[in-house]
Amino acid sequence: MQSKMKESEPILEVENLSASTDNLPILKGVSLTVHPGEIHAIMGRNGCGKSTLSKIIAGHPSYNITNGGIKFLGENINSLEPEERAQSGIFLGFQYPIEIPGVSNLEFLRVSTNARRKFLNKEELDTFDFEELVKEKLEIVKMDHAFLSRSVNQGFSGGEKKRNEILQMALLEPKIAILDETDSGLDIDALRIVASGIKKISSAQTGIILITHYQRLLDEIKPNYVHVMSDGQIIKTGDSDLALELEKKGYEWTDNFIKET
Amino acid sequence: MVKENLVKDVVKEPYKYGFVTDIETEKIAKGLNENIIKLISQKKEEPKYLLDFRLNAFKKWQKMKEPDWAGLGYKQIDYQDIIYYSAPKQKEKISSLDEVDPKLLETFDKLGIPLTEQKKLTNVAVDAVFDSVSIATTFREELAEHGVIFCSISEAVKNHSDLIEKYLGTVVPASDNYFAALNSAVFSDGSFVYIPKGVTCPMDLSSYFRINSGDSGQFERTLIIAEESSSVSYLEGCTAPMFDTNTLHAAVVELIALDDASIKYSTVQNWYAGDEEGIGGIFNFVTKRGKCLGKRSKISWSQVETGSAITWKYPSCLLLGEESVGEFYSVALTNNLQQADTGTKMIHIGPKTKSTIVSKGISAGNSINSYRGLVKMGTKAKGSRNYSQCDSMLIGDQASANTFPYIKSQQPNSEIEHEASTCRISEDQLFYLQSRGIEFEEAVSMMVSGFCRDVFNQLPMEFAAEADKLLALKLEGSVG
Amino acid sequence: MEIIEKIKTNKSIDNQTEIQKICLDKLRSRPLPNPKSEQWRLANKSKFSNFLDYPVNEKNPKFDTPFPNTSKSTIRLVIGNNCQINLIEKNYSIQQLTQDELDKYIKSQIFCFDQNENWSDLLNLSLSNAKNILGLKINGSKIPPIEIFSHSSGNSLNAKTLVIFLEKNCDVELLQVNLGKENSSLSQLTYFCLEENSSLNHGVVSYGENRSNLLNSLKVIQQKNSEYNLGSLHFKFDYARFEISIKQSDGYAKTNIKGMQVTKKDEQISTYTKIEFNGPNGFLDQINKSLADDESHAIFEGSIIVPKIAQKTDASQLSRNLLLSNLAQIDTKPQLEIIADDVKCKHGATISQLNEDELFYMRSRGITLPEASKLQLSSYFQEIISFIPISKDRWDLLDKLLNEK
Repeated sequence: MQSKMKESEPILEVENLSASTDNLPILKGVSLTVHPGEIHAIMGRNGCGKSTLSKIIAGHPSYNITNGGIKFLGENINSLEPEERAQSGIFLGFQYPIEIPGVSNLEFLRVSTNARRKFLNKEELDTFDFEELVKEKLEIVKMDHAFLSRSVNQGFSGGEKKRNEILQMALLEPKIAILDETDSGLDIDALRIVASGIKKISSAQTGIILITHYQRLLDEIKPNYVHVMSDGQIIKTGDSDLALELEKKGYEWTDNFIKET
Repeated sequence: MVKENLVKDVVKEPYKYGFVTDIETEKIAKGLNENIIKLISQKKEEPKYLLDFRLNAFKKWQKMKEPDWAGLGYKQIDYQDIIYYSAPKQKEKISSLDEVDPKLLETFDKLGIPLTEQKKLTNVAVDAVFDSVSIATTFREELAEHGVIFCSISEAVKNHSDLIEKYLGTVVPASDNYFAALNSAVFSDGSFVYIPKGVTCPMDLSSYFRINSGDSGQFERTLIIAEESSSVSYLEGCTAPMFDTNTLHAAVVELIALDDASIKYSTVQNWYAGDEEGIGGIFNFVTKRGKCLGKRSKISWSQVETGSAITWKYPSCLLLGEESVGEFYSVALTNNLQQADTGTKMIHIGPKTKSTIVSKGISAGNSINSYRGLVKMGTKAKGSRNYSQCDSMLIGDQASANTFPYIKSQQPNSEIEHEASTCRISEDQLFYLQSRGIEFEEAVSMMVSGFCRDVFNQLPMEFAAEADKLLALKLEGSVG
Repeated sequence: MEIIEKIKTNKSIDNQTEIQKICLDKLRSRPLPNPKSEQWRLANKSKFSNFLDYPVNEKNPKFDTPFPNTSKSTIRLVIGNNCQINLIEKNYSIQQLTQDELDKYIKSQIFCFDQNENWSDLLNLSLSNAKNILGLKINGSKIPPIEIFSHSSGNSLNAKTLVIFLEKNCDVELLQVNLGKENSSLSQLTYFCLEENSSLNHGVVSYGENRSNLLNSLKVIQQKNSEYNLGSLHFKFDYARFEISIKQSDGYAKTNIKGMQVTKKDEQISTYTKIEFNGPNGFLDQINKSLADDESHAIFEGSIIVPKIAQKTDASQLSRNLLLSNLAQIDTKPQLEIIADDVKCKHGATISQLNEDELFYMRSRGITLPEASKLQLSSYFQEIISFIPISKDRWDLLDKLLNEK
């Protein structure tokens, strides 16, 4: 099964990526390849660079790539704008989804969905058709219709914000989804809803990167690969057992890898 | 139940620094003209460039008008009726503290600033200024070992003339404003601090200013230079005897911080404020400014202003160096007929500069307490930020609190945030404290000191406690 | 800049009313506001001077309505266009003030003029002749919405004056529209007196064409238990100044203000507000937004004055500003002057550009930068526009702000 995957073209190739912000190096040569159908987990302590990696893939303007590059579906995307990346199928689930007072959630979802549909040469949806589509997707994350009329993320609880992220993922149907600590701040029920949402949306054609501190999300969604990051580098890669071992032994255990390398 | 007069009583503590030292002084004639300036310069045996600096400033001053934009109400100052130089008579050259007139030592003793070897404060080096001259500076040898120069500015003119010539008037030019021009023409003494490259000053430095004579103005001048990667904390205290006339105090303070240097400048100002009817008290017109010249340099002002009949003072920062930081923490308390117009200017010139302003004004009695500030983002201040918070507390219905923040931005990639609020000590809060067995006065002073906490936290340890006490004393009898 | 000289060159000054004469005399004795005064120090001198470059317009040209059609229920008045109104219905009445009432009121106002604070008013009253002064008193309930227009015609200086008394217990919705024609100046002065228990939802929409100027002065007096709500929008003037003065004469009144100014190119638009509480238990909630783009300059100065008599005042003022270009500038100065101790007053001010985190979030969902900016701007505008009463939709204000060059 795994070897079969490898034969297909990779969705995402991060090649020896180094990046900095305000002249401070954050990533120091990260390489990572994601094929269709694969689920990768990236784990590591706070400040190890895992969130930065996700932001750089999504094109955050605060970071400069100093070396290496990112390929999406075989094309180098280093110089693409964040919206171009999103339209072509890269999705970033934010650790802290941004509140945008005054902008209605429904309008926001509609404009972004249509931007993606336009890229896919699909017909853009008017308000009515879009409402139909949203209704269907709301089911996946068990969200109430009332969320749509509120401002984007404003006044949402932690769990609501994360579910709103997964709703966006469902609407945008990305080729690759990078979910940055989507599990943080969720109680066990909310975690299940989010996890089952992610599973429903993903397919054999899509790739997923889960960024997390904890094992509990990985209990719900089993990764094919687990990478451990430290000080801007991936210091160890393994299968889902690595996450279990990490859970047992703690990050101190990984400090030894650094010494080895 | 809170009673008007009870709170009024809480501020009536007599001014305990109001005594006069009976000492023979050398004064020059009243009045201001070129000859007086030449005489001051001659007495201080100054080099020519300094006399020229003074005369030039005097010319400018003559052409200037006393500022009225703060809307302060005070009796017109007769600049010809002031003595511009007054010094306690001492032997020609003092080589050690033993030769200082014991009366002077006693005076500072009484003020809580002992200077003698046995009693001097540990960990704080003090420069004591009596009327127009510096009479003693402690810990000089210890500081010299680290290369730190701490002496009176007159001495610095003699021994470090190159530094004076290079920096004097570069932060506050003589033409800056009316009172700065006056000071530049007639300044008598003040402190000079030089921290060499890479040195963290081993102890806090402190100047204590004492006005003794009633008819002489005090015009001190302070200059602090922090070279690359150095740091210093400097404290300043002030008191004056009670006279029923107004005494003019027009000081200039200039700070210069080079790359990675940091200067922390704290003031507890407790000049005589005049009596309940507003008779007497110091007119305090001060220009304080720091220049963050170097990259990542930092200048932090903190002040507790409780004295003076009139305070006109805006310690400011010119943020030139990239990523330089300016801070202003202020508590201003006014009572009776005091007027305080104080605040700061944060001028963001370089990129990624940051400034923070926290101002707490407390007005009681018939006093007027105004915050006036300017925050400006210049065209090159990309990525700069400012945050200001100005809170006022009103005690009694005759006091007034004003807030005048001027905010200007010419740089889209910068952020300015200003917040201000007004409150009073609520009966509910007082009741809550009282119901826990806390005395009324104690409760009021707890509330006030809680209100000022953000600023007190910035003061050096020795000062914070003093400031807290000072505020409680000042407030005694004012809450209703 | 010899203002009086400029005004004198117009022949039209011959048949002046008494009020015009008084005001001209005052202008003659001190022709210009002090450029160093707080109210005028930031005014662009040459732009301000341009204001007076046009000859005073005397005859009112035929007024073709470039405005969207009104709904049947709305009462529409155009100042200067023979507007006569005398409506006495079962529930309400809208009547014109008599000349006497008008003169008396205006004179009482002139009496307490301050040269710097009331310079715009002085200019207005020295220029606007009887035809261009509209005075109304409104009484009753279920009053239909009212729209009042002031406009300038090309290559001229126009002055319009409006005085409205809201009698006790009445409840009015009124939209005031000020339109500047290309190359023209408009001076608008508006007085509102809100008697006890009356309420006014007031909208002010002012916009110009190329090179048009506006001096818009609004004076409101609120008696006890009155409520005054103002939604205002000023944009597209080479030079515009909106001066608001509100006095709660006996306290116990409510004031809500949401104003906005948008500047582009090298425009300068400023808003000056002064809110005075002359009695206890007053309430104010004010927000002023500015947006400055290109090489423009937006200014806000607000003062809140709470004297000793105004115990239990609750006032808040917020100045929010967006600076969108390297060459634009914004000045803001929210001020509090307080003597009473039992009050709740706060103000705040921010200047920034569009929030980058929000922009990135939207872009990461495939929304382009211009679209994301537009979404943010429209929410920024919407808060103000939604507060402007009646027919705001017909005016397509949002569309004008977002899309007009």
